[in-house]
Amino acid sequence: MCLTSYEQIMIEHWQSQIKAAAAKGAKLAIRGSGSKAFCGPVANGEIIDTREHVGIVEYEPNELVIVVRCGTRIADVEKAMADAGQMLAFEPPHFGEHATIGGMVASGLSGPRRPYAGALRDFVLGCKVLDGKGDHLSFGGKVMKNVAGFDVSRLLTGSQGTLGVITEVAFKCLPVPKAQQTRVFEFDAQTAIERMNRWYGEANPITATTWVGGKLYVRLAGAAPAVQSAAANLGGEALAIDADWWRNWREQKHEFFAGDQPLIRLACKSTAAWSDLASNAEQQAIDWGGAQRWLRASAAQLPAVRAWAKTQGGHAGIFRGANSEAERSEPLQTALAAVQAKIKASFDPYQVFSSL
Amino acid sequence: MTLTFERPTETVVSATVESLRATYGERTVTTHAVREQHSHGEGMQDAGLPDVVVFPESNEEIASILKLCNQARIPVIAYGTGTSLEGHLKALYGGVCLDLSRMAKVLEINAEDLDCRVQAGVTREQLNLDIRHTGLFFPIDPGANASIGGMSATRASGTNAVRYGTMRENILGLTVVTPDGRIIRTGTRARKSSAGYDLTRLYIGSEGTLGIITEIQLKLYGVPERVSAAVCQFDDLREAVNAVITAMQLGIPMARIELLDEVQMKASIQYSKLEGFEPRPTLFMEFHGTDAYVAEQIEQMKSITADFGGSDYRFADKQEDRTKLWKARHDAYWAGMNYIPGKQAFSTDTCVPISRLADSVMAAKAEVAKSGLVCMIVGHVGDGNFHVLITFDPNSSDERNRAELAADRIAHIAIGMGGTCTGEHGIGIHKLEVLKVEHGEGVDVMRTIKQALDPHNIMNPGKTIPMQ
Repeated sequence: MCLTSYEQIMIEHWQSQIKAAAAKGAKLAIRGSGSKAFCGPVANGEIIDTREHVGIVEYEPNELVIVVRCGTRIADVEKAMADAGQMLAFEPPHFGEHATIGGMVASGLSGPRRPYAGALRDFVLGCKVLDGKGDHLSFGGKVMKNVAGFDVSRLLTGSQGTLGVITEVAFKCLPVPKAQQTRVFEFDAQTAIERMNRWYGEANPITATTWVGGKLYVRLAGAAPAVQSAAANLGGEALAIDADWWRNWREQKHEFFAGDQPLIRLACKSTAAWSDLASNAEQQAIDWGGAQRWLRASAAQLPAVRAWAKTQGGHAGIFRGANSEAERSEPLQTALAAVQAKIKASFDPYQVFSSL
Repeated sequence: MTLTFERPTETVVSATVESLRATYGERTVTTHAVREQHSHGEGMQDAGLPDVVVFPESNEEIASILKLCNQARIPVIAYGTGTSLEGHLKALYGGVCLDLSRMAKVLEINAEDLDCRVQAGVTREQLNLDIRHTGLFFPIDPGANASIGGMSATRASGTNAVRYGTMRENILGLTVVTPDGRIIRTGTRARKSSAGYDLTRLYIGSEGTLGIITEIQLKLYGVPERVSAAVCQFDDLREAVNAVITAMQLGIPMARIELLDEVQMKASIQYSKLEGFEPRPTLFMEFHGTDAYVAEQIEQMKSITADFGGSDYRFADKQEDRTKLWKARHDAYWAGMNYIPGKQAFSTDTCVPISRLADSVMAAKAEVAKSGLVCMIVGHVGDGNFHVLITFDPNSSDERNRAELAADRIAHIAIGMGGTCTGEHGIGIHKLEVLKVEHGEGVDVMRTIKQALDPHNIMNPGKTIPMQ
C-alpha cells in the first residue's frame, strides 16, 4: 500500500463524515489525544479522531522544513528532529505523552522560548485543512516568506478546532543551539521582572526566563563563547541538568502547578510591575520575561485579576479548572466578535464544528 | 463564488466627491496631477486614476469616509508613500484614495517593553529617527522609505528579515477601520493574544482589501553592541548560493545576507561608484551582536565562504561605510535601470525552500538566457527569496512578451519546487493568475473571507484575491 492512497482514503473518510454532518445539521468534535481538552472550548458530537492520520510526510533536515500529518505525536516529531540536530523552536507544551501535532497547532500554545524565538504561529509555514464543507484546502507552503494572498495558515493556528480539521502542517525548523546553560538568582518578584527585561534588552542570548518560588531562572543558549560570556556577565549560580527543569516547567509538572486549585494565566506587558494579586508570592509565578504570569487562585478572584490585567495592557483567564467559557477567556469587543463570526462562517457555514 | 464590482453612476461618484469636499475642504483633492501621483507605486506604471484623493487626520474621519463609500459603493484605496510594486494603488474602478501622510504620529514609545505604537503614515526612517535616543531600532528594511501602514498591509520584509523576521513577526496588534466604518483593535501589548482568531495576521498582508490599517503596535530591538558588514566575491554564482545555504543550515544568525549576480554587480559598480570590486557574483553580509559574538560569526562565515571559493573579503565597521554599501544594495533597481537607458523593467519575487535555492537561481538564469533580454539577479538569499530584474524596451511588444513569459516561467518553476511566486512584494494586480496555481481551491476560502468582511467589495477591489 502506498502512502498516497492511505492519505486519500483517510481524507475521503473524513470528507464524507463532514458532508453527512453538514447535511443533517449534526456536530463533529475534532479530537487528537485529548491532552489539551482542558484548555479549549467544549466539543460535542461525533468524533473525528485525528490520530488516524499519522506520519512525517517530508523531512529533509537541510531544507529546514518538516511536513507532518495531524495525528503524529509531537514527541515523535521532536525525536526525528533531535536526531538531525534540529528542534521546534517555540518549545510546545505537550501536556500528555500522546499529544498530537494537530492539537498543538489548533491550541496554539508555545513554551518558555516563545518571547525569544517566536510563537508557534511564526513557525507554521503552511497547512492543509478540511473546512466545514468537506473541501481539502492548502494554504501557505514550505518557504520562509510568502505573501501570496491572505495569511490563512496563521488564522488556523490557535483556531481550537472551530474552523476545520487541520490535516497537515509544514514547520520551520531551527538548529539546536551548540551550548546551553541556566543561571539561577535569588530575587524578589519585582527585581526579577526588572532583570528579565533589562538583560533581554542588552542582547544577551537568553532563551527562557521564569521566576518561581523566590528564584529567577535564566536560560542562555547559542554559540559556546556567547553563552559563556553572558553567563559571566549575568552572574548567579549554574543549574544542574537544566533541560529537565525546563521540560518540567513547560509541562506544568513543577510543584507550583500541583494541587486542584484553579490556575489562572495572565498575559500583560512584560514590564508590568509586580502586584500581589494572590494572597502570597508563592502563589504567583512569572514567565516569558514578565509577559506571562501564573496564579493559583480561586475563580472568585478572577474579576480582580482581570481588572488588573487590563490596566497592564493584557487579559486573563482560568487555564486549568475553568467552569465555563467565560472563565476561560474574556469576551471580545462587539465589533471584533462580529468579524470573528464572519470568519467562522466563511470556513464552517453549516456550523459543523464547535464554536469558539 | 465570484466577487463582482460595478462602478456606480457618475452622479453617485460626483455626489460622493462633493460630500467629501464639504466635510474635508482643502484636504479633498481632485486635480489630475495629484490623482495621477496617487495611482501607482514604484513598479510598472498602470493607468487607472482615483476620482479623488482625501487626506484624513483621524481614525474617526476614516470611519466616516468608509461609511459613506460603503453606502455609495465607491472603492477605497489606502496610500502610504507610493512604493508598492505590484499595482496595488491602481484605481481599477476609480474611487477614493486615502492618503495617510497626515496620520504620521508616533503615539507611544515604550522603551522598556521594547514596543511602540504608530499611526499608519509614519515612515520607517521617521520611526527610527524618533526612537534613536532610546537605544532601540526597528529593523524591517525594504529599502524604500515606506510607511509602516503600507509595510503592514503588504507584509513587507527586506534585507533584515533573515534575522528579525518580516512585518508578520513584528506586529503585536493593529487598529483597523472596517468597510462599515467600525474601528476595531486587534491584539494587545501582551505577547499572548486574547481569545479568538488571529485577526492581526489576517489584516497584515491583506493589501487594503479587508479594511484600512490606521495604527500599528510594533516590536523594537536593542541596537546591537557591534554591527559589522562584509562583502565577499565568488567566481561562480552557484557556489555563492551554496555558501548561503550552508550558513543557514548551520544556524549562523546573520542579520543580512544578500546576493548580487555578475550583471547586477556591473550595474551597481557603475551606478553606486563602488571601488575595488569586480563584476562577479557577490555576497553582501551584516553581523549583529556583542563583540565576541560578531567575531565568531565572521570567522564561521569566512571558513564557509572559503570552502565555496569565496575571496576578497572586505569589511565595513564604520557607519558611513556600511551606509554606502547598503545604499548600493538598495539602489540595485535604479542601477539596473541606469545600466541600459531607455528600458523599463519589472522584478520577479520568488521564494523557495532553502535547499532548492541554488537550483532555482540557476533555472531562473537559464530562463533569462532564453529570453535574450538583459536581466540581473539580486536577492535576500538567506530566506530563499530573490528577484530577477527583467529589462525590456517599452516600445517593443515582442520584448515585453518575452519579459512576461520569462517572469511567468520563473514563478512556475518556484511553485514546482514547493515555493511561492511572491515572497515579499505581494499579489496586487500582476500575480492574480499565479495565485490560483499556487493555492488552488484555497483561493475560494480567501474569496469567501473577502466577501464576508467586505460585502460590497469596496476595499481596493480587484487586487490580491482573483475576482473569479
